[in-house]
Parts: sequence; C-alpha cells; structure tokens
Amino acid sequence: MQQNFKSSYNVHVVRILLTFVGMIIVGSLLRSLLLPSEFGDYGHYRPGAVTEEANREMRNKTNDSCLDCHYFVKKIHLKGVHEVVSCEVCHGAYSDHVKDGKVIGEMPVYRGEEIKSLCLRCHNKIIRARPPESIKMIAMPEHLEEKNVRTDHVCNQCHHVHAPYKWIKEAREMMGLPEKWEGGSSWKK
Amino acid sequence: MEEITKIKKEIDLDRRGFIKKVLSGAIGGSLLLVMPATAREIAEQIPGMKEQTDLFIADKKFAFVVDITGCIGCGSCCIADKNEYQVPDGHYRTWVERYIIDDHDEVYVDSPNGGLDGYTEPRDDIKNPIRDTFFAPKLCNMCENPSCVQVCPVGATFRTEDGFILVDDKRCVGCSYCVQACPYSVRFINPVKHTAEKCTWCYHRVRQGMLPACVNVCPVHARKFGDLNDKSSEVYKLLHEPHVISVLKPDMGNKPSLHYLGLRREVI
Ligand code: HEC
Ligand code: HEC
Ligand code: HEC
Ligand code: HEC
Repeated sequence: MQQNFKSSYNVHVVRILLTFVGMIIVGSLLRSLLLPSEFGDYGHYRPGAVTEEANREMRNKTNDSCLDCHYFVKKIHLKGVHEVVSCEVCHGAYSDHVKDGKVIGEMPVYRGEEIKSLCLRCHNKIIRARPPESIKMIAMPEHLEEKNVRTDHVCNQCHHVHAPYKWIKEAREMMGLPEKWEGGSSWKK
Repeated sequence: MEEITKIKKEIDLDRRGFIKKVLSGAIGGSLLLVMPATAREIAEQIPGMKEQTDLFIADKKFAFVVDITGCIGCGSCCIADKNEYQVPDGHYRTWVERYIIDDHDEVYVDSPNGGLDGYTEPRDDIKNPIRDTFFAPKLCNMCENPSCVQVCPVGATFRTEDGFILVDDKRCVGCSYCVQACPYSVRFINPVKHTAEKCTWCYHRVRQGMLPACVNVCPVHARKFGDLNDKSSEVYKLLHEPHVISVLKPDMGNKPSLHYLGLRREVI
C-alpha cells in the first residue's frame, strides 16, 4: 500500500515537471515565431520601425525648394512681407507637384473670391483671438470703405499676393508719396 | 516658367544654333537661372542631421515650444500636417483650439474641423464681456513617461533612445488602449489602416535635417523646435531663462517635452 502510494506520487511530480518543460518549449517556439527577430534589442519594440518611420516620404519641402524653379516668383516673394508665409499653405504639397526634379502635377491656385477668404484666414480682425503684435489685421468691408472703393474688390486687386505692398508702394512712388516707405528697394514697410 | 519652354523650343528648333547662342552668351544668362533647379539639394534646417546614420539620433535632445501669445489661429500648421501625412478627414495629428474666457471665468472652447479651415466666424453666443481670448495649438507631448507606451500590449508604441514616441503600424493591433491612455488625446485609430496614429514631431523630416512641417510653415513663428543640448538654440534659452512657460497637465506626471509659452491655467 505504502509502496503504491509513493510511486504514484513520483509519477505526479514527473508529470508536472514534464508539463512545465513542454509549456516552456512551446511558449518559446511560439514567441520566436510571432516576434520579429530584432524585437527587444533596444526595448520592448521592433527597431525596424524606427528606420521605417525615418524613411517616410517627405511631402512638404520649403519655400526655397519652390523658388529653385519659380524664379519670377522668387524675385517678388523674397522682397515682400509675405516672405515668411509658406508657398505650400497657399498652394499645396511639393510632392503633389514635383517628383525627382520633374513636374508631375498641377498646383492649385486660388482665384477671385477664394483669394479673399484665403487672406482673411490670417488677417481677419473680427476673430478677436489674434494677438495684434503677431499680425496686422483688417475688418471687411471697412478696409475698402476707408479707401473709397467698391466693397466687392478682391484683395489681389490692390495687393500682390506674394508681396502685398509691391503695387501699393509702386503706386505711391508714382504719385510722389514715397516717404512712408522705409524698406529701400524691398516692398516691406 | 515661360523661360524654360522658350529655351526648350529653341533647342528643338536648332541644336547647333542653340549651342552657338549659348556660347555667345545670348541666352546663357537665362539658362543659368534654370540649371540649378534640379541639381541643388535643399539646405538642412537642423545642421548635422544628414550625417547621422545610426539607428537613433546622437547628442541631441529635441524640445518643442508653442507660443500661445503669438499664434494667430490661421491653421497653416494643420494644412501642412494634413498634406504631410494625408491624414483622413475628421482626424487630426495636430489641431488648433480657440479659447474664450469671459469675466465670470466661464471658458468657451471650440475647434471647427480642428482649425484646418481657419477661423472664419467670431463667437457671438457669449453674453458677458470677454476677459481673455487666444489660440492653443495641440500636438503630441512626447512625454518622458508616456502612458501610451505603458499600456500597449504588443510593443507597437515605444519611446526611442532619442526621445521620440513612435507607432509601429506593422505591430499595432488597433486595440485603442493607447488612445484612451493618452492624457492629451492626441491619438486616434486610422480608419483606413485600423492602427493607432499620432503626431511624431515629423520624425522623418527631423532625421533628414528638416524642421517638422508645422514649424516650417508657421508664419508668425509660434511653433519652435530645437535642440536642448545646444545652449545657443532658441528653445534652450526659452526653457533656461525666466519666461511664463509650462506644460499641459503637469500633475499627470507624464513629463512632456512639449512646452507652452504664455500658457493660461484654463488650457487643458
Ligand atoms: C522642378 C521645378 C519646379 C519646382 C521645384 C516647383 N515648380 Fe511649380 N511649376 C513648375 C512648372 C514647370 C510649372 C508650369 C506647369 C504647367 O504649366 O503645367 C509650375 C506651375 C506651378 C503653379 C501653377 C501656375 C499657374 O499659372 O497655374 C504653381 C501655383 C506652382 N507651380 C507652385 C509651386 C510651389 C508652391 C512649389 C513648391 C512647393 C513649386 N511650384 C515647385 C516647376 C516647378
Ligand atoms: C498668401 C498665399 C500665397 C503664398 C504664400 C504664395 N502664393 Fe503663389 N499664389 C497665390 C495666389 C492667390 C495666386 C493667384 C494670383 C492671382 O490670381 O492673382 C498665386 C499664384 C502663383 C503662381 C501662378 C503665377 C502667377 O503669378 O499668377 C505661382 C507660380 C505661384 N503662385 C507660386 C508661388 C510660390 C513659389 C510661392 C512661395 C514662394 C507662393 N506662390 C506663395 C497665393 C500665394
Ligand atoms: C498664412 C497666413 C497669411 C495669409 C494666408 C496671408 N497673409 Fe498677409 N501676412 C501674414 C503675416 C504673418 C504677415 C506679417 C509679416 C511680417 O510682419 O513679417 C503678413 C503681412 C501682410 C501685409 C502687411 C502688413 C504689415 O505688416 O504691415 C499685408 C498688406 C498682407 N499681409 C496682405 C495679405 C493679403 C492681401 C493676403 C491674401 C492674398 C494675405 N495677406 C494672406 C500672413 C498671411
Ligand atoms: C482698394 C485697394 C485695396 C484692397 C481691395 C485691399 N486693400 Fe489692403 N490695403 C490697401 C492699402 C492702400 C493699404 C496700405 C495701408 C493703408 O493705407 O491702410 C492696405 C493695407 C492692408 C493691411 C495692413 C493693415 C495695417 O494695419 O497696416 C492688410 C492686413 C491688408 N491691407 C489686407 C487686405 C485684405 C485681406 C484684403 C482683401 C480682403 C485687402 N487688404 C484689400 C489697399 C487695399
């Protein structure tokens, strides 16, 4: 009786140990099957993901990259106050337009009334949250009323979109009123 | 651009004559203006990044500062961000909130389409006089103790050794734990890929020496990005000299690397 009990006790221990070993083997097999090879080299993640993210396509570039080709815009844009505004905000992403130095698609261009809402996006006075130190604002239609013109004028009839003071400065100079402008040959104020 | 077509036409008409003309300098000048176009690489905005080829960025600790006192709420950053990542409509990796606080300390916040279309209308549903109003751009806080990384069950979101929190969309199972864990609500599940997505401070641009897309386009320089190991950088000076500067929800203990200049306590 005693003997019997002892042997079945040993069998139990062996069974439990075997089950453990089996679980460890199956577990590590599954782990190596499911986890990518480099997982955990630097932390609980796949280092390849860092490289993949770093190699993502860059879709926006800089103003300089547009001006490499658009030489005529360059001559105007860099001399005006809008030098700080991004081409790609008003037009669209570089990679929709140029790939490997070749033009692959048309750039959208705002026209007419659309230009008004584009300008007012940044210059609208009625949006009171704008800090006046950051940007000069105008109210419509007061801006046009004080100039004694019809209120259906669009901004680009007086302001060059790429250098807002270009035409205004030129007009003033023509009329002999240059003293207000201190920017020398530029179209800044 | 007419210049290019003109030159191309000239070449097509008479190659020999064209070369002669170039040599004689007749159109050489205008050709020079066109030639560098395809040849030139754009200059690095963050010096020394292109030389770094290791898995992680060495010797740099990047920080982001948003100047609330400067932001005009134009949404240029939102446009650039949507263009850069082709973010699906209705989801935002970065967005701009408008805060209005009246003299009874009632706070009104709105963000129509995440500020992507700009702010076109004033709020006229506020009866009391307005005490304070400003815009607050939001993006990933790049926490030093990121809750999103702690909860991810599959190691799909992680903090790199150079301090960026990224998402591995190959491992992500779209369980949304991280979306709920983020105290700043910057994460969403991409409806096309069904994986988690969030702002990465444009890691791919930074690796190539370019500023994050939103920083690059901000017309009033309200978004600032730089290296804290460089004592001459603007962000270093902002964080090491007396300024009204703080992080969002400091009590959460996440230790964000995103700082706000001129932050009001009402911003959450
Ligand atoms: C590789 C040279 C090149 C680069 C770089 C380039 N463009 Fe262009 N772009 C062109 C050419 C050539 C055209 C004329 C294409 C046509 O008419 O089909 C054009 C057309 C345009 C037009 C349309 C003009 C019109 O009258 O309809 C806009 C707007 C424009 N580009 C903006 C940009 C912006 C913004 C960038 C920078 C993100 C840029 N371009 C970068 C070569 C370039
Ligand atoms: C404030 C927004 C704004 C910015 C910034 C801007 N553009 Fe434009 N651009 C316009 C608008 C609006 C038009 C259409 C002008 C019109 O119809 O009078 C235009 C027209 C153009 C055209 C067509 C040619 C022309 O003069 O009509 C080109 C090319 C162009 N832009 C390139 C650029 C480039 C390159 C930059 C960056 C250096 C740039 N733009 C920046 C708004 C902008
Ligand atoms: C993305 C925002 C943005 C858009 C869109 C924009 N502007 Fe501007 N504009 C600016 C900023 C920023 C300045 C100030 C530049 C500075 O002071 O350095 C400015 C300056 C000006 C100024 C000179 C004000 C001064 O500082 O004296 C005029 C005029 C102007 N813009 C007109 C326009 C017109 C017209 C349009 C539409 C074609 C337009 N802007 C669209 C951002 C914008
Ligand atoms: C009839 C011509 C005309 C039209 C149209 C016009 N402006 Fe102006 N704008 C001017 C002149 C001239 C100035 C120069 C400053 C002054 O005398 O007020 C000016 C100045 C500005 C300024 C600078 C204001 C300041 O405080 O210095 C902004 C901003 C501006 N305009 C934006 C716009 C926008 C946006 C539109 C379109 C909605 C527009 N303008 C339409 C003529 C015009």
